[in-house]
Amino acid sequence: MKHLTPANSKAKALAEAQAEGRQEEVVAMNSLVGCTTSFDPGWEVDAFGAVSNLCQPMEADLYGCADPCWWPAQVADTLNTYPNWSDGADNVSEDWRNLQSVFPDPKG
Amino acid sequence: MTLKPVLSLGLAAALLLSTTASAADYLIAPVRPNKLVVVDAAAMAVDKVIEMEEAGPAPFVPVVDAAGRYAYVNINQTESIAKVDLLSGETVARRDLSDAQTQVKTLFGLDLAPDGSLLAVYESPTALHLTHYEVLPTRISLLDPNTLETVRSFEVPRQITVIMFSADGSKIYGLGRAMHVFDVATGTQIDEMPTQAWQTERYYPSDILDAWSQFETSGMLVTPFYTARSDMSLDAPETYRTGILTMDRASGEMTMRDVRALDVFYFSMAASPDHTRAYGAYNVLESFDLVSGTPIKRVELPHSYYSVNVAPDGKTVWLGGALADLAAYDAETLEKKGQVDMPGGASMSLGSIRMFQRSD
Repeated sequence: MKHLTPANSKAKALAEAQAEGRQEEVVAMNSLVGCTTSFDPGWEVDAFGAVSNLCQPMEADLYGCADPCWWPAQVADTLNTYPNWSDGADNVSEDWRNLQSVFPDPKG
Repeated sequence: MTLKPVLSLGLAAALLLSTTASAADYLIAPVRPNKLVVVDAAAMAVDKVIEMEEAGPAPFVPVVDAAGRYAYVNINQTESIAKVDLLSGETVARRDLSDAQTQVKTLFGLDLAPDGSLLAVYESPTALHLTHYEVLPTRISLLDPNTLETVRSFEVPRQITVIMFSADGSKIYGLGRAMHVFDVATGTQIDEMPTQAWQTERYYPSDILDAWSQFETSGMLVTPFYTARSDMSLDAPETYRTGILTMDRASGEMTMRDVRALDVFYFSMAASPDHTRAYGAYNVLESFDLVSGTPIKRVELPHSYYSVNVAPDGKTVWLGGALADLAAYDAETLEKKGQVDMPGGASMSLGSIRMFQRSD
């Protein structure tokens, strides 16, 4: 492996595992990892193709979608990955402006 | 299946709750990031604010014992269970279900046996291997309510949300892709009633999302479901239907029936203690006659509420969740009677709003 440099997080994990004699524990990913596979609309448009059956106001649904990792593409996942995303913003009606975008940590 | 409300059982449950000497009604609301807020229902005022450690981002499902003394609630990204003394405000027991090798989420499934002898928790474990996760079988664990240690566990189907003990404590109902019935003593599934597969000769598969436990005053789990008639034109608005599912914890009878055309959503429903009414809430509050299976009245709400519950005397409907107020509505007229604001305007998020009684 001395002539190879890990190019992604999986390869880096393999290199680390090899150094620890645990390379057999490194397996190929064969399933989706994450808390949801739901890609249905819900934030942008309701089931009727309009917006009146979305949560009102929008802020009412922010934590309802974050806490169970409901729509992690639209609202940060506080169930697993970003548990501190809403720290200090308990009053979502007033504090929603303090909520920030999130970005995955660099890997590999 | 037909809807045949067991009025006598519902009435008995209502009388049992309403005739307790000098018992006062309380609500308990999970509030961001680590609080349980106890509300005096008669005074419409906050009675106590209880804080828990490492409970964020929000407590999910509280359940209160029959004496109104202790609450059990899943916290800490639903990976821990806390037992809280509602009088002292102290956390008297805590169980962290996850460890370095396994992550355990509990989400929406938590219930206490009617005699208080077992706490049932629906667990979704994942093994955390060196470079990958391994999804493990979902299970119901039965915890000792004093120590919160696991007494025994048994594997159950995936995708179960709400769980509810039967009135005699011998069975657990789990609502997932069907209504699963488990024997508490053996851990085996002893029955399964179709929900998604309900009346598929006339309807497309029913869609259910039930994440709220709010059956304690009625002894009846109620949830809306949504479907469409497979024998009608998909271009016709009347083809799309709203239904109501009821699961009676005393009789074990489950019913599903089509109650109206689908034009709005209800996030959750609750039944009156006498089982004659159901109430659906989200952007509207709507009452339904559970005897005839018809809508009665609908009013607009000032904002979305996820959770709805009915007072033990059946006269007040409480709304909560999503934002930061508990709103009281007259159960008959659906006129607003008042509201209780959560301290600091903190969001209740997805938390279930529960009711209990205590003799003070």
